[in-house]
Amino acid sequence: MKTAELVAGHAPQWRQLEQLCTQLESRGTRIKLGAHRRTEFAALYRSACADLALADAYQLPAETTRYLHNLVGRAHNLLYRVENAHASDWWEELMQRVPRRLYRDNYLRLAAALFWGGFLASALLASRYGAMPNYAETVLGQDQIQQLEQMYAEPTNQGRGLNDNVGMSGFYLWHNTTIGLRCFVMGVLLGIGGMFETLFNAVFLGAAFGHMSTTPESDNFFTFVTAHGPFELTAIVMSAAAGMRLGFSIVDTGGLRRADSLMLAGRQALPTMFAAVFLFLFAAFIEGFISPSALPYSLKSMVAVLSTLALLGYLIVLGQAGDADGIDDEQLTIEG
Amino acid sequence: MSDRPTPIDSRVKVVTPENIAFEYRLAGPFARIGAYAIDQLIIAGVFLLAAFVFGSVSAALALPGLGAFAVLVSLFLLYWFYGGLFEWLMSGQTPGKRMTQLRVLRTDGRPITARQAVMRNLLRLIDLYPYCYVLPDVFNEDVSIPLPTGLVCLAAMAFSRRYQRVGDLACSTMVVAEEPSGSGRAAKDWLATGETANDPQLQRVLAALPASYRPSRTLARALSHYASRRRYLGPGRRREIARHVGAPLAEQLGLPPDTDHDLLLGALYVRTFLNESDEEAMASGPEKPPVVGANPVLAPAPPAESTDPTAAETAPPAPPPTVGVAPGAPGYQIATTPPPNTPS
Repeated sequence: MKTAELVAGHAPQWRQLEQLCTQLESRGTRIKLGAHRRTEFAALYRSACADLALADAYQLPAETTRYLHNLVGRAHNLLYRVENAHASDWWEELMQRVPRRLYRDNYLRLAAALFWGGFLASALLASRYGAMPNYAETVLGQDQIQQLEQMYAEPTNQGRGLNDNVGMSGFYLWHNTTIGLRCFVMGVLLGIGGMFETLFNAVFLGAAFGHMSTTPESDNFFTFVTAHGPFELTAIVMSAAAGMRLGFSIVDTGGLRRADSLMLAGRQALPTMFAAVFLFLFAAFIEGFISPSALPYSLKSMVAVLSTLALLGYLIVLGQAGDADGIDDEQLTIEG
Repeated sequence: MSDRPTPIDSRVKVVTPENIAFEYRLAGPFARIGAYAIDQLIIAGVFLLAAFVFGSVSAALALPGLGAFAVLVSLFLLYWFYGGLFEWLMSGQTPGKRMTQLRVLRTDGRPITARQAVMRNLLRLIDLYPYCYVLPDVFNEDVSIPLPTGLVCLAAMAFSRRYQRVGDLACSTMVVAEEPSGSGRAAKDWLATGETANDPQLQRVLAALPASYRPSRTLARALSHYASRRRYLGPGRRREIARHVGAPLAEQLGLPPDTDHDLLLGALYVRTFLNESDEEAMASGPEKPPVVGANPVLAPAPPAESTDPTAAETAPPAPPPTVGVAPGAPGYQIATTPPPNTPS
């Protein structure tokens, strides 16, 4: 039995498998494929597997072996496809598992402490009670301060139509969500990157708030930021917490290998980040439409109160409902 | 299988539920940077196009705000979710990866999930770190352009087994190079150079070979490697490479010292992989080589037909056999035999 003969004998089956792969790979032809052809595909795949397993014994030439490796890999991925998550899974993830995880998440507490602590300290320093007169200027820079003051020189509801609001919502969506996602991603740097990013944002925002409170534009400023504040700032804290979970999982592995620990943390952190993206989305629309509108301040603060209540409901009411999925549960799914 | 030292190369082995190990070729940083560059160009192009289309449409409708919204949302989606979306929908490929024939897979060889696709693309931001700020004075302004150096990514790839960047490590994925799926063609590589097995010079060397000599399994593998690469080499290079194996072999087999080493390897290749003619000589040879005897399936050469009746009807014609093919190709009963060994 010579190799050439062997290859010639088996090549038709390999080619047939290759054809079936091509048909299965595109959605249109996949649907048309009958059950008979599908079982044939499995049989052909298994026989190609057997040929590959015996390639060494058959002394197949290197090129043929490579071809078989490719073919088996391709067919393997078609046979063992992954079911994509359904929308209901995502809903369950966002509305049940994420709040439960966050409710018990120490990183959320750490992120909140860092953010709010940094924010309040920075705001205090930049306000008129601060001990450092040039603090805001040092942190924000002269240009930024001028820009801020200019932005809020007029009440923001002046001269902005519905059309501008739509555009500004787009800007807030892009700009703020990018900040949040950066907070999340930087967390991977052993958690320190995320802490730095969180603290940086906190100090910067705090300085802006503190400084604006000393200026004549403070009314316009605070009228503007009230309505969307809760969603936006909570979203930043949540992104930072998700990022820290990633980063600290490399340091504190809980007995897993570092790579596995990071992977497990990634599974838990990504849905949290998506919840934060939704919050950014809500915040962008509030910031685009309600914050600059001519609505009375009482209504705007009502929006702030309602969104705070919604957040508390999400984090505490939904978070407390039922047990957190034990970490052991999720470890079982590492491989999956 | 796993305790044997594996050669240092960029292949990764995946074991299927059938207990078959097949290999993927991993894609290193230089294979991937091309795909990345293509994707970046596509992102830039699509963004410019979106800006133009949304801009002109919204200008025509006198709704500039709506246009700005659409442009910014598309910027957001492209910047953060281009890779994740495509790798999810195109089972592990972005347009750039498809063009450069790369694919993202889980480390166990299965296709990636949506979550993995999104995650590994979000984490690209880290992989591009640290940024190096360039200050071009063309604008005569304090504009600094952040250029990603990708050192984090390179370091992670250097220290991980499968060229994984941080994003890959965090969701246990890897990028493999899909080799152009050539054809089932195998043993005609030697002939692709224009020389046939009937070349009189080759025949002469073939005749001079001791009838009982069979190359060992490793030599056979080396021969097939040489044969598949040979057509890319010039005559001088062929001589140079063939000398290393050919010279000791010629001595061992008692061939005249002026034997062309390239031809000698060719003759051995023909004997190992193609020729049928000296089958009897081998069978009657005093020492039966372990190579053939080691295979319980092939040794008796069962005269079986394929058990799959449809195979013959729908299959395209087989590649032309280089040498006359005996009718008894082993069929599917091989599949029922537990594989005695897996390729290393």
